[in-house]
Amino acid sequence: MLEQQLVNGLTLGLIYALIAVGYTMVYGVIELINFAHGEVYMFGAFLCMMFLTVFGAPLIVAVLLSMVCCALMGVLLDVVAYRPLRNAPRLAALITAIGMSIFLQNLAMIIWGSRPLPFVKEALPAFFKVTALSFGDVKISWMQMTIYIVAVALMILLNLIITKTRTGTAMRALAQNRVCASLMGINVNRVIAFTFALGSGLGAMAGIMVSMFYNTMYPTMGYNAGVKAFAAAVLGGIGSVPGAMFGGVVLGIAETLGAGYVSSPYRDGVAYAIMILVIILRPSGLLGRAVTEKA
Amino acid sequence: MEAILRVDGVSKKFGGLMALSDVTFDVARGRILGLIGPNGAGKTTMFNCVAGLYRPTEGTIVFRPGARDQQVQGEKPEKMTALGVARTFQNIRLFSSLTVLDNVRIGRHCRTFSNFFGAVLRTRAQRAEEKRIIDDAMQWLDFVGLGGNALQSAASLSYGDQRRLEIARALATDPKLLLLDEPAAGMNPKETESLVDLVYAILEKDVTVVLIEHDMKLVMRICEHLVVLDHGVKIAEGAPAAIRENPEVIEAYLGKGAAHA
Amino acid sequence: MRGVTALLGPLKYLLLAAALAYPLTPVSDVYVLHVLVLIMVYMVLAMGLNIMPGFCGLLDLGYVGFYGIGAYTAGLLTLNYDLSFWVIVPLAVVNGALWGVILGAPTLRLVGDYFAIVTFGFSELVVLFLTNEIWLTRGPLGLPGIAPVSLDLSWLSTLLHPEWNWRYDFYGETPYYYLGFLMVTVIYVVMRRVEDSRLGRAWLAIREDPMAAASSGVNLFEYKIIAFAVSSGIGALAGAFFARWTMFLSPDMFKFWESFLVLCMVVLGGLGNIRGALIGAAVLISLGEVLRVVLPGLGLPAETRFLAYGLIMVLIMRFRPGGFFTAVAESTLTSPLIMDLRRTLAARKTG
Ligand SMILES: Nc1ncnc2c1ncn2[C@@H]1O[C@H](COP(=O)(O)OP(=O)(O)OP(=O)(O)O)[C@@H](O)[C@H]1O
Ligand SMILES: [Mg+2]
Repeated sequence: MLEQQLVNGLTLGLIYALIAVGYTMVYGVIELINFAHGEVYMFGAFLCMMFLTVFGAPLIVAVLLSMVCCALMGVLLDVVAYRPLRNAPRLAALITAIGMSIFLQNLAMIIWGSRPLPFVKEALPAFFKVTALSFGDVKISWMQMTIYIVAVALMILLNLIITKTRTGTAMRALAQNRVCASLMGINVNRVIAFTFALGSGLGAMAGIMVSMFYNTMYPTMGYNAGVKAFAAAVLGGIGSVPGAMFGGVVLGIAETLGAGYVSSPYRDGVAYAIMILVIILRPSGLLGRAVTEKA
Repeated sequence: MEAILRVDGVSKKFGGLMALSDVTFDVARGRILGLIGPNGAGKTTMFNCVAGLYRPTEGTIVFRPGARDQQVQGEKPEKMTALGVARTFQNIRLFSSLTVLDNVRIGRHCRTFSNFFGAVLRTRAQRAEEKRIIDDAMQWLDFVGLGGNALQSAASLSYGDQRRLEIARALATDPKLLLLDEPAAGMNPKETESLVDLVYAILEKDVTVVLIEHDMKLVMRICEHLVVLDHGVKIAEGAPAAIRENPEVIEAYLGKGAAHA
Repeated sequence: MRGVTALLGPLKYLLLAAALAYPLTPVSDVYVLHVLVLIMVYMVLAMGLNIMPGFCGLLDLGYVGFYGIGAYTAGLLTLNYDLSFWVIVPLAVVNGALWGVILGAPTLRLVGDYFAIVTFGFSELVVLFLTNEIWLTRGPLGLPGIAPVSLDLSWLSTLLHPEWNWRYDFYGETPYYYLGFLMVTVIYVVMRRVEDSRLGRAWLAIREDPMAAASSGVNLFEYKIIAFAVSSGIGALAGAFFARWTMFLSPDMFKFWESFLVLCMVVLGGLGNIRGALIGAAVLISLGEVLRVVLPGLGLPAETRFLAYGLIMVLIMRFRPGGFFTAVAESTLTSPLIMDLRRTLAARKTG
């Protein structure tokens, strides 16, 4: 039982981690909680479904298209909503982020209705149901394996982008000091847009995998997952990408264990409680560095 | 000469950076002390330590507002204000969507008492206090020459007037020690001239002044005593004339401005 | 122009008189009265929330939590102990304020975004608690059959005359309309007075620049806690009224949506402007009612009206960040002391 919980927790955790890096990267470059990120994740699932059913695209193509669309959506979000407020008070950007989140959520409700929809089963390859590994009672299906592999691969890729490419370096420079970065000739707006695109693409992938795994998608799915992924980002230290990955996995496992052993109605409460405690007791997160306010 | 403030062995570390290392000096009561040094020397950091915004990594700060010494390092800013240390900021920090008067009224906060219930019930004591707050605030506004602008928004003031308003707000807290962080920055010569008069007027009110200033002419003219910081280290201290001749200071700081001074 | 402003004064009183007389006129309508009472509940909520982002610059996303705490306090005390509304109100307010302090004490040291997310988490926990602690709250079934408000002076009347029974039960919307009116008026006056006081100025200083506020002697922690207590107390008051008005409570009445809606009212009206909070509540509730009718006509679920709310918030922040009424600390400018000062200054200029 415990082992099975751990396996399920890991699946959930990797998905949280994929969403969480989106929060953390955006926070890193513009110090904003992009509340609408959860909605991008939700759109990922719905768009993928739409490409599958309406256009009859093969699964891989639908997934990639959905990721690209969500990346564009992230960029659009930044350009339309956040960029004009770059120099406005923090409160304004934060309120805009919440407004965008609610707006997108309801937009999805208008397009796809408020009822949960199943994932397009026919599109899934048959081997997804087959057990890939089993230790005693514990079974890991190929779908779960795929989630692990894709999530880990994407994070490795992300790390490579951040550490090895010019844009990645620019992102890190921006996170350190925006003014300096722009003085050094970095095109700040472009780097921020790139960050949004990257985070949103990964978020979309997370949305797709969740809807596959639980065979359901609904317009409010971004709300809970978003908060939990944010909690994961906080847990790992906001602004830190490895932290977000670590936080996601820890939170996913804590949540499934909490639901299994403590009390299942408070399943979501576990994530909130962890988040509140971490923020209060150790706002820099478990892996983050302390932030000091400049005088 | 009695010291109102003794800074003793104060260090402040930011990560790996020693913004202040082992700085010691006294501020004599009733005088103007100039704190000078090149950019990034740690002057503002020293103010922040004294005003309670930063806790020094090491060292003690002793404040003597009246007859008794008090160790104050690491106290909260509002506590320091209550004790009698007021400050202005290098990059002006006003309550900019409030009126000029309100900015100074907020300065009276630490010397007044009414609370939520007083405000809601409009008790006699509360009303009397509000009246007093306005009178005191107006007195300080007139003192810095902004009385006529009292009901204007603070943001609408000119740059020089905003600096004056910041000084009025600081004075409204009834300080014994006033820390001015580059008050003349961005002022034209005429404004600077009236600032000098203002500083002398403040001294007359029995307030000791510490001044950070890059304008060497101004510093040499009004300060009786100078402390020179460079890279967080105190490299010299003394009368302006002596500092001007000090080779270490010239090298560190006046090097580029020596001809100017 | 001057003529218009001169007319505005009497017009205000005329409107007020019309509002007070409305339920008694033949044109009054139960549905309209219901919506008006709902508007009043939200006016109180908006004025209470305004303290946080409007006066202190703190984005409180969990405001509905206190509303829920107030409502359930009132509901449970009514159902279990049959206490009078007039006893319950102070209890609910104190309970709300207490929770405000409990949540505030550890979180107020946090900077903006973290504060927002913690308050959000708190309100979610409140909903989870209300949903899952079935022994106390009956969970998702909710609390039906909460007695309406009653004004019971029979103890006094029987003293005067054994056959008199001065007891009035609040049935229908009209008495709640007047009770709501009273509540809005009281909170409005309280907020105006606080705004123009040492406390209000300290709050505004925190909103404008916390560091400068601390250096001016404002104890940030203390004043944010007071803000939290007052704001959540007012939220709980609205909750207590709501409980005894609708006579039914369920946990999903207190979800995040409500916090968002109230925040939207405050933003629309103008952060930090008390009259703005009133207008914001009136506009958005009315808009909500209109959309509730219009949207199903378009084949859309009524919940999608939040699309409009979200859009309003984004557009306001982008194009008119001050909202309808941009003035901050409005009441200070018209207080008698300031009027005196204005005259003195004018005399000084001419003299
Ligand atoms: N909060 C902080 N965190 C990290 N480093 C800081 C902080 N505040 C100041 N510093 C660093 O400490 C050093 C001293 O800064 P400080 O502002 O005290 O210099 P200053 O003498 O006031 O310079 P200026 O004349 O430019 O105002 C600088 O290198 C600055 O970057
Ligand atoms: Mg400085």
